[in-house]
Amino acid sequence: MQTRIHFVEELTRLNHDILTMGAKVEENFRKAIEALKTRDVELARDAKASDAVVDALQIKIEDQAAALIATQQPVAHDLRELVTVFKVTYNLERAGDHAMHLAKLAIKFKEEPAFRQVEKLDAMVERCCAMIRGAVDAYLNNDAPKAREVAAMDEEIDRLNKEVVKDVIELIRERPEQVDRATRLLSNSGFLERVGDHMTNICEAVVFMVEGEHVELNS
Amino acid sequence: MSPNDGQATGAPASEGRMMRSLSDVIQDRGSAAVAADGSGADVGKGIQIRKLSAYYGTHQALENIDFDINPGVVTAIIGPSGCGKSTMIRCLNRMHEVIRGASVTGSVLVDGKDIYASDANPTRIRRNIGMVFQKPNPFPTRSIYENVITGLKLNLKRKSKREYDEVVEKSLRAVALWDEVKDKLHDSGTALSGGQQQRLCIARAIAIEPEILLLDEPASALDPTATMKIEDLLFELKTRYTIVLVTHNMQQAARASDITAFFIADERHVGHLVESGPTRQIFMTPSDKRTEDYISGRLG
Repeated sequence: MQTRIHFVEELTRLNHDILTMGAKVEENFRKAIEALKTRDVELARDAKASDAVVDALQIKIEDQAAALIATQQPVAHDLRELVTVFKVTYNLERAGDHAMHLAKLAIKFKEEPAFRQVEKLDAMVERCCAMIRGAVDAYLNNDAPKAREVAAMDEEIDRLNKEVVKDVIELIRERPEQVDRATRLLSNSGFLERVGDHMTNICEAVVFMVEGEHVELNS
Repeated sequence: MSPNDGQATGAPASEGRMMRSLSDVIQDRGSAAVAADGSGADVGKGIQIRKLSAYYGTHQALENIDFDINPGVVTAIIGPSGCGKSTMIRCLNRMHEVIRGASVTGSVLVDGKDIYASDANPTRIRRNIGMVFQKPNPFPTRSIYENVITGLKLNLKRKSKREYDEVVEKSLRAVALWDEVKDKLHDSGTALSGGQQQRLCIARAIAIEPEILLLDEPASALDPTATMKIEDLLFELKTRYTIVLVTHNMQQAARASDITAFFIADERHVGHLVESGPTRQIFMTPSDKRTEDYISGRLG
């Protein structure tokens, strides 16, 4: 016999919004990197403006979760799941901010000539998107092994970030007049590296939700 | 500069004064918390339940319970109807055997002594282990004052009027009822509200200075305000008594207890203990799926 039908329905609705929030962050990253690669300022502006959708979803989801805690008094897995909701939304929102930073970079670089580091940023974004998809998927499917698998992907993003840092240092040495561009690249590479950390945070929260144990992944 | 002279963190440091770090604040709060934990107080006596089974005639209600109840904390017993939780609590002061045909095997050690030993005196045991029931049951023909001292009069040698007055005030103060009834001590106990009546019953139970206090659904007939007063009272009383609380109300167990024990009866087994542990752990990460299902409202 299924019980707590109202609670389950509300949670299903809330989880659908989390999926939407994750999809929006991923979409914003894809638009931002595409805009950077193709110098498409309109696309970059679209990605930048879409961050407001992500922020609004965070507020909506957190309000729903708080209302469920107040009215349904969840315990055990139900409570851990709602605690995890706040961690998922917080970390997705931070990742969304970094998508917006990348969109701003695309707008800033609209007149700049092509540069080789964009390929590495593209590779980082590809992996960030995989982590966002994976982390949200692990949360929605209550899948701790998947969460551990997704967190391990952070290593590759860290490696790519180190390569970008190395490249940019070389660029500054070779062309000191490019220091402004170089520092913007460095910042954004660092932001993408942080996206990997935020998704790892979600994965840790998912393991706690499923297994009830606090874990440190990628330590 | 004394540790309390510093400014609140976050405020700018004025010249010549050092801003206190968050570590200082934590240290101060830590010292206060240690001072308030009741350590060193007389906190009642522990109970060890060993291989306890309980029967109503040939019907077995509890099977092979092994469980320790520690002093200084509130232990909640939860479980679906028919799991034996009320039977369990009634075995702790030999009230179970008052029912015709009821019997118990195994042992219950209070302060190391088996209350079911052949030389144990059930009356003395019941005197030392107070009990409060679901429905407030003040003696209807007696005043508030007489209700409090009834147990004393039944159990112990007579005291002077002054001594009785002291016990009445102390017991009513302990249950936060003194200020509400001090001017009408000789009115009937049944003239009080439900919540006040239940606190009067707790005052009656603690007037005899029991070592252990058993409460069987003490707030189930009360409104939320009266319920909160009972729960606050348990928090106060646990520093002096070993408290066992049977409750149907999951939120009450979560709020008011330190340790929770989950009992169940199913097709294969009569009432038995599924798991027990710190309340926070039982309500956050229970070990057993049946506990999880019950506390989440998905069982029973």
